[in-house]
Amino acid sequence: MSTWRSSRDGDGDASRASLRVKRVTGLVTVQDAGRPGWMARGIPPGGPLAPSRFHEANLFAANRIAGAGPSAAAVEVVGQLEVEAEGATILIGVDGEGPTALEPGAVYTLRSTAERRVRYLAVHGGIDVPTVFGGKGTLLVASLGGCEGRTLRAGDRLRSLESPSARLRLGTGDADGAPHSETRPMVQAADSNEDDRPRVRVVLGPDLEDFEDVALGVLLENEFSVSPQADRVGTRLVGPRLLRKVALAAARRPSMPMVRGAIQVPPDGQPIVLGPDHPTTGGYPLIGVVVSADVEKVVAAPVGRVLRFARALPA
Amino acid sequence: MNDRMWLGDAALRFSRPAHLEARALHDALRAVVGVIDVVVTEAHVAVTFDPAKPRPPLDAVLDQAIGAENAPAPASKLHVIAVSYDGADLEACAEALAISADSLVAFHSARVYDVKMIGFLPGFAYLGDVDERIALPRRATPRTRVPAWSVAIADRYSAVYPFASPGGWHLIGMATPFAPFAIDLGDRVRFEPR
Repeated sequence: MSTWRSSRDGDGDASRASLRVKRVTGLVTVQDAGRPGWMARGIPPGGPLAPSRFHEANLFAANRIAGAGPSAAAVEVVGQLEVEAEGATILIGVDGEGPTALEPGAVYTLRSTAERRVRYLAVHGGIDVPTVFGGKGTLLVASLGGCEGRTLRAGDRLRSLESPSARLRLGTGDADGAPHSETRPMVQAADSNEDDRPRVRVVLGPDLEDFEDVALGVLLENEFSVSPQADRVGTRLVGPRLLRKVALAAARRPSMPMVRGAIQVPPDGQPIVLGPDHPTTGGYPLIGVVVSADVEKVVAAPVGRVLRFARALPA
Repeated sequence: MNDRMWLGDAALRFSRPAHLEARALHDALRAVVGVIDVVVTEAHVAVTFDPAKPRPPLDAVLDQAIGAENAPAPASKLHVIAVSYDGADLEACAEALAISADSLVAFHSARVYDVKMIGFLPGFAYLGDVDERIALPRRATPRTRVPAWSVAIADRYSAVYPFASPGGWHLIGMATPFAPFAIDLGDRVRFEPR
């Protein structure tokens, strides 16, 4: 693991656009679209907590060309991040805010809000970090990917993969000079403000035999709120207990395969929804699995957000 | 695949066909176009795919895998891991098992273990079965932090923690570090006292 390059040491390319981290608090990591295909080795799929905002930020940063598409590595901010542009003008994109060109010396601050706990800062060209197991995202449990496998620190330097010779033409065209009609990318936000009690679609099972019959009704007819115990591994919800069958709850279960969005129920009956960095196996029974498109409504939700589950049928 | 169950809209889980070796099963399913990930545990297999694309023909592939006779055994590696048997729980385990610490070490290092499954942590291989004379239930209270490279036992398994993490297994030693993702399904592992 010592071969992974540090992004702290400068490479002398002063003209290359970069962002220097001035201040950071909370869970602030480099993330990309994930590293599918390694779950057999116990490596979770990764990817952004809030894919819709991640893509929005990348589109604002004009990352829609080959090599730096809407899945380019960006900074995921759960907390606060303050950066300063260095070397050259750098185009950044921030979810919910839009594109901004930062001149060298310009400072930009991004923080979680009451509505948007998880935010993204993308840079034109994508952030230059090594690809590890097919992805650039940070997997904290394995100290792998991103910036040395850890959360960002003051002094870190985030370089763009964009070469310094390419000139940005803000508001008039793409990086390659082709004019484009849309000045702001059209992205449907997954969380509009009026949606303050989102319906989260869930495919029931597969471990329904572990639960008392009433548990399904409890899941589908009640409100659950997002607890402060929420990170990239999982989000614990608080609500009425989902009762497991006593006899089965006492028995030790073999570990079973887990997926993103799985709703695990530990013996205390309070559900945990697995996020992108979930363990690939686990022993708690699953009362259901949130459909792919709705996982971010749970794992990127603000603490205290009230959720309701709705039954979905797999296609 | 008659017990096939949905895991959301992007994965299926089914019971593992008893006679199929884990690695061969993984490789057969992973080769199917449209399959993104395959996780094999002792009792189950899960296959994930892109929900926006046509579902891969898993039934046909599994039928084929089950029906195939004399399927070539996938390449299997033997990993020899050096261990200093000085773990924090070594003496307590020996006491609970009513054997000496030396016997525990001898039983633990005498076997060649199969990789039963990989999970819990990236690269965490469940090795089994341990000698029944050193089989102990997990600790009643898990540790909040187990150091990386701890060698541990619990139930029928032994394992090496490739990263520091919380953990409920009994710590019996420390492994000499190795490439963290070197161990694959179907491989075998032997521990050597150091």
